Amino acid sequence: MLLEITNLHARVEEKEILKGLNLSIKPGEVHAIMGPNGAGKSTLSNVIAGREGYEVTDGSILFEGQDLLALDPEVRACAGIFLGFQYPVEIPGVSNMTLLKAAVNARRKHNGESEIAPNDFLTWVREQAKKVKIDPKMLSRGVNEGFSGGEKKRNEILQMLVLQPTLMILDETDSGLDIDALKIVSDGINALRGPARSTVLVTHYQRLLDYVQPDFVHVLARGRIVRSGGPELAKELEEKGYGWLEAA
Amino acid sequence: MSALATYSAQFERYANALTAAERAPRSVQFSRFLDSGFPHKDLEEWRYSDLTALNERSFEPDVSASDDALPDLLLDGADTLVYVNGQVYPASTAARWHSDTCALPPPAVGIDALNAAFAAGGLRLRLDRGTRLDRPLQNSTCSRSDGQPTMSHQRHLIELGDDAEAIVLLDFSGIGGERLSTHFFDIHLGRNAKLQLYRIQNEAAGGTLVTRIDARLSRDARLDGVTVDLGGGFVRHDLDLALAESGAEATIAGLYAHARQSHIDNHVRIVHAAPHGTSRMNYRGLVDERTKAVFNGKVVVQPGAQKTDSEQRIANVLLSRKAEVNAKPDLEIYADDVKCAHGATVGQLDAVALSYLRSRGIDHDTARAMLLRAFALQILDRIEWPELRARVETALHLPAELTLDIDA
Repeated sequence: MLLEITNLHARVEEKEILKGLNLSIKPGEVHAIMGPNGAGKSTLSNVIAGREGYEVTDGSILFEGQDLLALDPEVRACAGIFLGFQYPVEIPGVSNMTLLKAAVNARRKHNGESEIAPNDFLTWVREQAKKVKIDPKMLSRGVNEGFSGGEKKRNEILQMLVLQPTLMILDETDSGLDIDALKIVSDGINALRGPARSTVLVTHYQRLLDYVQPDFVHVLARGRIVRSGGPELAKELEEKGYGWLEAA
Repeated sequence: MSALATYSAQFERYANALTAAERAPRSVQFSRFLDSGFPHKDLEEWRYSDLTALNERSFEPDVSASDDALPDLLLDGADTLVYVNGQVYPASTAARWHSDTCALPPPAVGIDALNAAFAAGGLRLRLDRGTRLDRPLQNSTCSRSDGQPTMSHQRHLIELGDDAEAIVLLDFSGIGGERLSTHFFDIHLGRNAKLQLYRIQNEAAGGTLVTRIDARLSRDARLDGVTVDLGGGFVRHDLDLALAESGAEATIAGLYAHARQSHIDNHVRIVHAAPHGTSRMNYRGLVDERTKAVFNGKVVVQPGAQKTDSEQRIANVLLSRKAEVNAKPDLEIYADDVKCAHGATVGQLDAVALSYLRSRGIDHDTARAMLLRAFALQILDRIEWPELRARVETALHLPAELTLDIDA
């Protein structure tokens, strides 16, 4: 098992959001987490990534057998977890390249490897940037500085391609994307699919799943997974909405 | 012993060695100092900075030139004029710009009067019309205190003729314990003259450093200044610019950062006295540990200074609960056809950005350093002298791999 979540309870500012969530992900699988607004989808993503402000009150998360909740967010990232944010932050003064280089080298240090050679790094980044159609010139600008909504999402995918995580969590990555951008983002995700790498797609809509085929679809409502199924479940949700499940 | 008594004893000894003609104006200055003492909180200009503790202190005058090895602060590619405790360092390559004498100001008060009473000469850079300094001039002032606290007071002059150009670094550093130094600079820029002026301050924690720069810009003259405070015990710096004739332009950028226990007070005043003047003031502070930072920025647009274009921006990040910032932008406008903007902020490090960087695997301390550098970058980018910039970045203790931006 790559990721094993058991009876997860978590709260944000005294408000309990996740109420006993269970989820198991094997290597190579793609899981879609769908659900109405406020169900706890983003909370789940952020708790796995270890963002501050989320308090786990019960339950456990194992990642490759180790207790994930005991690790700092940067250690989780170095261990292979990547969270693509719904609202990527702008950081003027820290260039995209500086961020990428610091992130790559942090990972290498974590793995006991030496720093990447500058030329290898540049070649690698340029190659990945091409895949998400980001002009390398944009990368000497501040992180997401002056990027459009679509560019920010593509930049998240670029970081993911550069870092080659084991577990990719994409939080509403499809929101606010036009069809062309959605295609580019999906291609980026698909490019990373492989037997050793798993994906969690957190999304409100079925649209993304036309491009990235999930193996499993889960419905998250009222802080728990209330229904799991195959790709056909997403289609059913698209037709019926979430009301029938929330009432259930 | 009454307050200021030790200064009187020192002055008596000092004045006895002077001719009567030299002594008279200095005695006037000294008696004015005795009347006022060191500046205190009740003076509006010193509201957050009180030096009255010095009234009871005792400083010996500096004596011999030190020929010890200097700390590694001389920059490649520059001519150097170095003062160690007020004495010219023998190995200075630009000793021709030193003057033993100096002009005294009209009778002053407070610390200005103290400086005038004791003032020795210092830098005297005079460029004729149309000349240009080949290499940047590094004017280093190094304080050393090994035992008994000492003091030195100097007055300096930079005079650029019409169309003359120079790059000058005023570099203040210190080693050791308690010391008092005051440095006053008079700067005159002729028509269309250009001065790139850097001021870097990294005094010792026991050092009290009071500096003042008065600059007057003639028609179409241009002053680009960058000032960086990195340490010191008590540091007060006044920068007073007069855009005296039309078309003059002053751009001042400042950074105070990395100090731990310092009191750093910057007072910047820009007076637009003529039309079509442009001024930019951009200061940033990273205030950590027990540092107290004071910033007072003032722009005055005098009657008739139409078409003035002025902007002042002050931004601070408080990094510790015990740190303190008092930032005040100030604007006085007596002309009606002008463009003036100002703003001041005090905030904290962006927690969302910090968490974003950590989510990419970057450890907390490195992520923090990246954000601190990002905040300071606007000012660092204004240092167009690569060796100097490298020295400042090193002093800021930023991770070396982050200090070089990589171009894609």
